[in-house]
Amino acid sequence: MLLSALGAIYPPARILTSRAELAPYECDALTSFRASPRAVVLAESTDEVVETVRACHRLGVPYVARGSGTSLSGGSLPIEEGIVIALNRLNRILELDPEQRTAVVEPGAINSQVSAAAAPHNLFYAPDPSSQSICSIGGNLAFNAGGAHCLKHGMTSSSVLGAKVVLPDGELVELGGESIEPVGPDWMGLFVGSEGMFGIALEITLRLMPSADRTRTVLSAYESLEAAGNAAAKVVAAGLLPVAMEIMDKLAIEAAEGSVKPGYPEGIEALMIVELEGDHETVDREFEQLLEVLEGAGATEVREPDDDAQRALYWEGRKSAFSAVGWLSPDYIVQDGVVPRTRLGEALAEIGRLSEEHGIRVANVFHAGDGNLHPLILFKGSEEGALERAEELAGEILRMCIRLGGSVTGEHGIAMEKRAFLPEMFGEEDIEMMRRLWRAVDPAQIANRGKMFLPEEELERDEAADPDAAPSSAAVAGTAGPPPGGASSGEARRDTR
Amino acid sequence: MSVRLRPDAVEEAQEALRGHERVLPRGAGTKPALSSPPDGTVTLDVSGLTGIEEYDPEELTFTARAGTSLGEIEAALAENGQYLPFDPPLVAAGATLGGAVAAGTSGPLRYRSGGVRDFILGVRFLDGEGRLVRAGGRVVKNAAGFDLSKLMVGSAGRLGVMVELSFKVFPQPQAWATLTVDCAGLDDALALMGALATAPLDLEALDLEPPGRLWLRLAGLADAMPARLERLEGILERSGERLEGEEEGALWREVRDFAWVAEDAAIVKVALVPKRVPELEAKLEPLAVKRRYGAGANIAWLAWPGERPAQELDELLRSLGLAGVFLTGSPPKPMVGTHRGGAFAQRVKSALDPSGRFPDV
Amino acid sequence: MSLPVPIVLRRFTVSLPVLHEIKIHQHEPQAEEMAAAIEQCIHCGFCLPTCPTHVVLGEEMDSPRGRIFLMKEVLEGNMEVEEAAPFIDCCVGCDACVTACPSGVRYDELIVPYRAHAEERRERDWRDRLLRRLIAETLPYPRRFRVAARLGRLARPLRRLAPGRAGAMLDLLPETLPRARPLPELQPADGERRARVALLAGCAQQVLAPEINSATLRVLARNGVEVVVPREQGCCGALDLHSGASARAKAHARRNFRAFPDDVDAVVTNAAGCGSGVREYGLLFKGSAEEGQARELAERTVDVSVFLDELGLKPPPPLPEPLELAYQDACHLAHAQGVRSAPRALLAAIPNVNLLEPDDWELCCGSAGTYNIEKPDVADELGRRKAEALLATGAEAVATGNIGCLTQIEAHLRALGRELPVVHTLQVLDRAYEQASGSPRAASP
Ligand SMILES: Cc1cc2nc3c(=O)[nH]c(=O)nc-3n(C[C@H](O)[C@H](O)[C@H](O)COP(=O)(O)OP(=O)(O)OC[C@H]3O[C@@H](n4cnc5c(N)ncnc54)[C@H](O)[C@@H]3O)c2cc1C
Ligand SMILES: Cc1cc2nc3c(=O)[nH]c(=O)nc-3n(C[C@H](O)[C@H](O)[C@H](O)COP(=O)(O)OP(=O)(O)OC[C@H]3O[C@@H](n4cnc5c(N)ncnc54)[C@H](O)[C@@H]3O)c2cc1C
Ligand code: SF4
Ligand code: SF4
Repeated sequence: MLLSALGAIYPPARILTSRAELAPYECDALTSFRASPRAVVLAESTDEVVETVRACHRLGVPYVARGSGTSLSGGSLPIEEGIVIALNRLNRILELDPEQRTAVVEPGAINSQVSAAAAPHNLFYAPDPSSQSICSIGGNLAFNAGGAHCLKHGMTSSSVLGAKVVLPDGELVELGGESIEPVGPDWMGLFVGSEGMFGIALEITLRLMPSADRTRTVLSAYESLEAAGNAAAKVVAAGLLPVAMEIMDKLAIEAAEGSVKPGYPEGIEALMIVELEGDHETVDREFEQLLEVLEGAGATEVREPDDDAQRALYWEGRKSAFSAVGWLSPDYIVQDGVVPRTRLGEALAEIGRLSEEHGIRVANVFHAGDGNLHPLILFKGSEEGALERAEELAGEILRMCIRLGGSVTGEHGIAMEKRAFLPEMFGEEDIEMMRRLWRAVDPAQIANRGKMFLPEEELERDEAADPDAAPSSAAVAGTAGPPPGGASSGEARRDTR
Repeated sequence: MSVRLRPDAVEEAQEALRGHERVLPRGAGTKPALSSPPDGTVTLDVSGLTGIEEYDPEELTFTARAGTSLGEIEAALAENGQYLPFDPPLVAAGATLGGAVAAGTSGPLRYRSGGVRDFILGVRFLDGEGRLVRAGGRVVKNAAGFDLSKLMVGSAGRLGVMVELSFKVFPQPQAWATLTVDCAGLDDALALMGALATAPLDLEALDLEPPGRLWLRLAGLADAMPARLERLEGILERSGERLEGEEEGALWREVRDFAWVAEDAAIVKVALVPKRVPELEAKLEPLAVKRRYGAGANIAWLAWPGERPAQELDELLRSLGLAGVFLTGSPPKPMVGTHRGGAFAQRVKSALDPSGRFPDV
Repeated sequence: MSLPVPIVLRRFTVSLPVLHEIKIHQHEPQAEEMAAAIEQCIHCGFCLPTCPTHVVLGEEMDSPRGRIFLMKEVLEGNMEVEEAAPFIDCCVGCDACVTACPSGVRYDELIVPYRAHAEERRERDWRDRLLRRLIAETLPYPRRFRVAARLGRLARPLRRLAPGRAGAMLDLLPETLPRARPLPELQPADGERRARVALLAGCAQQVLAPEINSATLRVLARNGVEVVVPREQGCCGALDLHSGASARAKAHARRNFRAFPDDVDAVVTNAAGCGSGVREYGLLFKGSAEEGQARELAERTVDVSVFLDELGLKPPPPLPEPLELAYQDACHLAHAQGVRSAPRALLAAIPNVNLLEPDDWELCCGSAGTYNIEKPDVADELGRRKAEALLATGAEAVATGNIGCLTQIEAHLRALGRELPVVHTLQVLDRAYEQASGSPRAASP
């Protein structure tokens, strides 16, 4: 039934069903979860996407939209009884209007290609996740992606002005508009970061920013990671507003040097890259002030790149750091938590302590300017129980973030990975409200089912609720292995083969 | 006669809310078009829920109760050399933090720094059933759960009653300077704005006073200002009038707080982009409606004459496919023109307010 | 109430070590490299934007990330070789993914042994076998290739009867073949001898563009380099190696072990594909008695551009007229050997040359080995894109470091109605030197 419905929408070559065609879609960049969908469809028009969603709704088949599959939280993990709607071929930039500073793009458009298209007009698309060379605007929107330069320019949601959206029952709506200032409730703002559970964005209007007149970057070295964290807090407190402020520890530096060879100072414990942007006059003056703050904060070395090429290399080292950690360890967990900026040093020291206590190496590379930590927990999957131990440590780090008044995710989202932590951060009423929202927007619960909320609670709710009231009780599903340090989800299946 | 309720604590607010079938929250009432209750609806006055709960200047964030006046917040920030870059209007009139969020109003400075939506971090609010819900957080970055804080921006008290809000703030610039330039007319002014859009200038504010006057505001280090003004004039290829110091600040405060709007006129905010200005101008010009474009002509502020029915503006905006909202005056419904959201908006509203306690959006 | 259907989830990371248990370990010495590549892939997708097949086809199976996953499934015994084959076959072998990967995944060290592993377990239909045989038995042998090419040209009128890959093969044959130019066994240095090298002459190149070797010899001589051209040398074996025929590849390699003398400073090559082929000898012979010999030859083999750049180029005289020249990175030079700056440095050293860079340098032109024969559709699309990117630079001529790219780009420029000269890097140098000395021998770009 499903296949014939899809057959009415797509030519056979764009419906993937064989083992070999499906296998590569089984996971995203969070490889610890895998699920094989019933089919993958390769959409080439927005109409096809709408028709597909309608068919799914009609047949009660869950779906997962997929951009480039770089989610680090299992966002684009397929649903075994559902389908994957691949959007990567819908990648055109439909319109670029320099005078309004807007671009209209299809959801599969690649982040960095938007900036590339805007560059001739001296404009750029601000959110720059490290994965920008491959991640899609649709995926960015679904996860409210951030990046090194979001410190000044804001996360994805500050750059998404409007979208044409197909709701999970196939109804089309328009949210937001072209203006940078919405009127009425910010529906668009709610949709951004909804992790695919409110529907699929089909045409997205983006805000572009003018490129700065002058950019100056400084790399500073520290004797300890904690010192680097404290230096970041001092820069913020000094009233400087860098566009980016990033920290890497010794392991992350080592990894980057193994990979793209950025040529960072040798033998240091931590480094921080700070970038200022603006007009000549201001940047040059602020730069002096910045150097003073950094030196006052205990930087052992301060270095400005010689030219644009070297600056680019410094950034490349930072941006490929996640992947580069592959040089250090066969397996690792990328964590994503937030702490108040004033407590960065404390948090980093605690991570160091936990790492030692657990005897597990942790590399740190993160957005210091907004307190967004990315501890990378290294382990060897081939060792019995190593994964579980790594997950336990990851869990402790996240709990520390909550304890310090932060968040369990700054930009990678909840999806599969952090479902168990949502209840640690929010109260029952808060989560119940989120569920109510999902149920209202997607009564059949087919959009990205199984993500964000723990299934057990889902089941309890269903038992409590009137079965007739649930539009599609059979469709309530989704169990998975406990996320790192997963508190519950006890008997969920995790096949380690 | 509507019953007024003025709780001092969250629990009281919950009780008050649950005790009535139709409710509309009100801060200080600076935007009466939004906060005046329709017939049969009680006003839940949240102006008693006041106080800054947490403010760490080094962290550049604060959390305050929703009824706290913006004046109080601005004063506390100013003591530490910080400010609200979204530049909320009606501070002097006593506007509250919750009211500013619910009305979704940002001032001229939003051009560069972003609006309320870009600074709000978290919220605690009562939904239509009186349940206390928290969303977002107190840190500057957070991607956990749905972003209900953003939804509260512009919700006009129709999706929930905010009781507490967290925001990030920015350090205050050392110096300000403004250049006003008179262009040959609307087309000339818009063309110049088009050129400015892609120039690396870091303008804090860019307002258009039709037909042809542009207001450009710079901020930053005092030492850097003269050179920047010079370069700006170079790019403009037109000489302008420079303003600095106290006079400059006062001028923008007047703009922000609608001093230019006549007593009997209603303040209406319309969202648009620069390329739509000529069409709107063509319609408004004959009606003698005073107006001003903010945020690089991404917002039109209209002083809708008291004698003209709101209905007329509603139709006018609909014909252009633009969305607007009355902040003051007494329109039958504050939202006018073509609003988006459709089924998504309805469904979200039904989840937040299942029994329809708040007025329709 | 019906029970929910649980999603069955598996741990990717944990399943990896299983690889070490699989049968191939005992038989295939390259299993370690294969396992390392698979293990090191963190599935980040950074390699997707420069993978030519992913760019053209837009499917995960036709991306490096997808192929690694598929090979892993096959090697672990979860999938049949034949199931994965269409997508593995589609890989150009351009190694762009190796350049792009921040995690250091050596995709090249996975795909090559994998293809050999898979080839033994495949059942190909007779037409397929015939075509592969035809390619393997002609392209590496200059004399046979000449004959075949002539026959092929005769067969052109029958083009429409030869659809698909055989047709594509016919399309690629040049209108006329240049006269064969036998190379001297020894080319002395002009003036003082600064170095002595052996030339790996390349096979298809000798037939299609013998003037490249002549130009190379002249440029080397001018730079004081004595060149020996061992008669006994044969094909480098890259073609066989990359199509999984490792036995045939080894036979070619062994011949070269014997052919190349020890008393040279380096073995130089001007065909990127051959250079990268020889450099893979080490892995090919891994675990065998010949491994040392193989590694030794691989290590001495360098691209002629690198050799000259390191030796120090004798400053070339200016070209008679300014030339807007686009440099096109050959995948087997840029990605497989990491050579990007040396050829640019040589070209930039010629006064009057203005070097231009096309967009998307990482993207393969679609030639890569015999790819334009195996997958004509994808190759055509890639060729078209490359030709467009080159034209967009406003170049008057194109330089590249590989014969395959040269023919492919020429064909696609022609298809766009823009017949720019496409020459080898060494030919540009040659022209500068020769024209200044008034010699009529130089090729004219
Ligand atoms: C090495 C590496 C570095 C990274 N660095 C960063 C970083 O710095 N900052 C950051 O924020 N993230 C980062 N990420 C995470 C990831 O790149 C982002 O989450 C990105 O936004 C995902 O985009 P995608 O196209 O790959 O989406 P996918 O993984 O394909 O999808 C992600 C989610 O979005 C949904 N989705 C996709 N398209 C749509 C659509 N059109 N409408 C609605 N829902 C949709 C999917 O259903 C899924 O739930 C990194 C990832 C990697 C591997
Ligand atoms: C033009 C004008 C006329 C005025 N007229 C008078 C007058 O006649 N009498 C007088 O005493 N003062 C008057 N004032 C002064 C004014 O009453 C106060 O100084 C000021 O009212 C504060 O309003 P507010 O910003 O809090 O927004 P409000 O007008 O109270 O509210 C704006 C919107 O926000 C919503 N809202 C407010 N708080 C919340 C919350 N916590 N949660 C959810 N939604 C909320 C409301 O429902 C409404 O939709 C006037 C001011 C102006 C500018
Ligand atoms: S870039 Fe490297 S690690 Fe990332 S998916 Fe490709 S091969 Fe794997
Ligand atoms: S070798 Fe080339 S074609 Fe093959 S997977 Fe890598 S990038 Fe793609």
